[in-house]
Amino acid sequence: MNSFYNIHIILAEVKKSLKIILCYPMEIVYWCIFPIFWAVPFIFQGNALVGGMKSEAFSELTGTAEFMPYILIGAVLNTYVLSALYGMSNSLREESYWGTLELILGSPCSKIPILLGKALNEAITSTIFAISQVFICIVIFGLKIAINQILPIMLIVILLMLGLYGLSIALAGITIQIKQSRSLIHTVEYLFYLFSPVRYPVDINPWTKTISLIIPLTYALIVVRGITLLNKGLIDLWQNVVILLLMDIALIVFGYYIFFYIEKRARKSGIISTY
Amino acid sequence: MKMNLRHYLRAINAENIKEWKIELTYRVDFIRGLFEPLFYVLPAILYGMAIVGGRYSENLEKLTGTGNLITYTVIGYVFMGFLETAVWGMGFALRKEQWYGTIEQVFAAPVPRWVYVMGMALHSTMHQGLIIIMQSVVIYFIFGLVLDISGILPSLLIIGIMMISLYGLGILLSSLVLIFKEGWIISEILYSFMIIVTPIAYPLAVLPSILQKISMYMPTTYGISTIRHFLIGESLGFSVFDAVLRLLAIGVLWVIFGLFIFNIVDRRVRNKGELGTY
Amino acid sequence: MDHIVVSNLTKKFIKKGKRRFLTREKEEILALDHISLRVKKGELFGLLGPNGAGKTTLVKCLATLLIPDEGTAVIDGYDIIEDPISVRKILGITTGGERTLYWKLSARDNLKYFASLYGLSSKEAEERIDYLLNIMDLKEKQHQRLEKYSTGMRQKVSIARAILHDPKIILLDEPTLGLDPSFSMFLRSFIKNELNRKEGKTILLTTHYMEEADQLCDRIAFVNKGKLIVVDTSKNLKRSVSKNEVLEIKCVGNVENLVGFNAYMENKRDYTKVKILHENTEEIMDDVLKIIKEKAKILSVNVKRPTLEDVFIHLTGSELRDDYE
Repeated sequence: MNSFYNIHIILAEVKKSLKIILCYPMEIVYWCIFPIFWAVPFIFQGNALVGGMKSEAFSELTGTAEFMPYILIGAVLNTYVLSALYGMSNSLREESYWGTLELILGSPCSKIPILLGKALNEAITSTIFAISQVFICIVIFGLKIAINQILPIMLIVILLMLGLYGLSIALAGITIQIKQSRSLIHTVEYLFYLFSPVRYPVDINPWTKTISLIIPLTYALIVVRGITLLNKGLIDLWQNVVILLLMDIALIVFGYYIFFYIEKRARKSGIISTY
Repeated sequence: MKMNLRHYLRAINAENIKEWKIELTYRVDFIRGLFEPLFYVLPAILYGMAIVGGRYSENLEKLTGTGNLITYTVIGYVFMGFLETAVWGMGFALRKEQWYGTIEQVFAAPVPRWVYVMGMALHSTMHQGLIIIMQSVVIYFIFGLVLDISGILPSLLIIGIMMISLYGLGILLSSLVLIFKEGWIISEILYSFMIIVTPIAYPLAVLPSILQKISMYMPTTYGISTIRHFLIGESLGFSVFDAVLRLLAIGVLWVIFGLFIFNIVDRRVRNKGELGTY
Repeated sequence: MDHIVVSNLTKKFIKKGKRRFLTREKEEILALDHISLRVKKGELFGLLGPNGAGKTTLVKCLATLLIPDEGTAVIDGYDIIEDPISVRKILGITTGGERTLYWKLSARDNLKYFASLYGLSSKEAEERIDYLLNIMDLKEKQHQRLEKYSTGMRQKVSIARAILHDPKIILLDEPTLGLDPSFSMFLRSFIKNELNRKEGKTILLTTHYMEEADQLCDRIAFVNKGKLIVVDTSKNLKRSVSKNEVLEIKCVGNVENLVGFNAYMENKRDYTKVKILHENTEEIMDDVLKIIKEKAKILSVNVKRPTLEDVFIHLTGSELRDDYE
């Protein structure tokens, strides 16, 4: 199979997935807006606790006293987490419900471009969601992002996606094998909330701080917040970028092996999850 | 009539037991469900502590009369679980029957629809009660909670009254979810909005005035504040008597509204033949 | 005495078509077109018609799951629109579809749950469930979850569920659809001998299997495209065309030049089946064969007595079955 053929499959997969998403316009609007609303209670909570929008104690932990942009950035990047955790495995679950999963797995093409197509589709849609969310943050909450910060942020987002979609491919494999993979995925999501600085600075507690070191999202959040809130450059934060990159490689290799191990097993045992 | 009532009560209980049996076949999900709320409350507590640099917030004390942000937040989140019960537990009960394929069989049975809904309500309230106990035990061991024991009984009473309105909400949502393909979005939007205008982790005083006005029509506003009043002595902007009266009034209104919409939807699906489709 | 009286029952569905900018095309489907019929007490009544004829819609209207647009039905004195709860009390119903029970619960748990909805006391329920599981031969597996049952066994539980509260009237929507022959045979004999003959239940059964209707039903109603075509006993229906014989010719090629012979043609995958109803087929056989031979090749020729299916074709001009041969 040549690479031209593979690119063709990736594009076909992306096209199909995008068409399916367009059948649910309400859902698109929802994801463009609502993740920001989940962050709103945290802003009011902060205000109630210190009687203003700045906190000294917060600045000691994070370097910035302004907790609102801190929370908003966490909320926007979290969109990628949700897409990676639920997007691809839901897509496979749906294919299985429609009966098309067996046809795909039984087709003569390699499964890698199909997975890449699904991941690319997730990347495109969640980036559209994230841009819309950032726009809301700028208009309603006065979030400030300088033009020269956009490029480094995009780089980090791409690095974050690579790692997350590696994990996602592993979860997709597990979804083929286990019907109730939803439970596992939910658990992973909650662990992200508790052990990475999405919603609060994990440095407050030695336990959460230590565990956060094995989650790629932690490094992405540190760098993006560093760029936007602390006016740092990528060079100042290079260690985080390197760790993120290494984690990406590890997660992609891990995801790849898990998926193909399970796919093979599923074909042997005949479980392509039935509903 | 007497016979009917016994028949209805038995049906309500059967509904409750059936739901337990089905839920317990998904063991992993069940256990995860017990711990899930912890992952929402713990980040909120840790975030609060990061902001004030400890457990005590002067500003919170000024606003509510109680400065311990941990007990304040925990109680808010624990009782928010009841809102979740109404929105997700009850709200999706009928959609679940559609998915099982059993909704037509259930609707062909000679019991009024509210009997079925009450069965769901009973089940989800019991389930939520179990979750709250689990949650309280874990939080107690991590942070230690100081509550006024004598406030527990009146709190339970307030919860009972608050549940009336939440059942109304559950009935409303369960019917909307039945006719809208993307019903979960309606529930999500309503839920996200109610979370903001409910004094879960902050007093309503910090909200913009328009949101404060809206929150005056939410049962959770009176429910959660009054419970905190009994358990940790939060100062209220209204008397307990007032709170109970308003809770009852909102409850009656919401239930009537919920049943009204439910009946419209019931007729609509039976007119259009959309009942069995998922 | 009539147990079910259907008068002028009409039901339309709006089918959404293509989306056009802000509007959407709508197509109206007349699922029931002014249907009236009466089912006598203790009668086993069959609704026979192809898929999409409106049989299920009629059953759902009677079961109060659908509200008709026009007309009504009275079931043992209760109106389906005015008093749905009373109707539900005296009705037992099975609807089609693969999932109509809780697959995560055992047969016994499913039955116990529905017993409560139908107002049986626990003691009554236990006794009735024991009895039903026994006659359905499900006793051994009563505690197994339904997900582990075969389709046929699940259908048995479904029927047990329908007659749990010992209803006077039972509506069975395609009770043997998708079952293997041995299960079908068991269920048919159960419906006829146990429910209808022994317990004297009034049964309305829908089917698109001609043999089933022929074998079970006291009277049969033909339904096609929402309309009631005819109601009579199987014997009378067949007698209505009994002067006739059926000349059945299988052939390959063009047979359109047979106009004038009142011929009905079914296009199968590999051949065309021509059926001609005539008082004396021998008389016309030579002419017919000659005409066919002009443009087609004949595979086989048969002369048969008419079946219910032939009656249906004669009356409606369309086929009953679309699923086999």
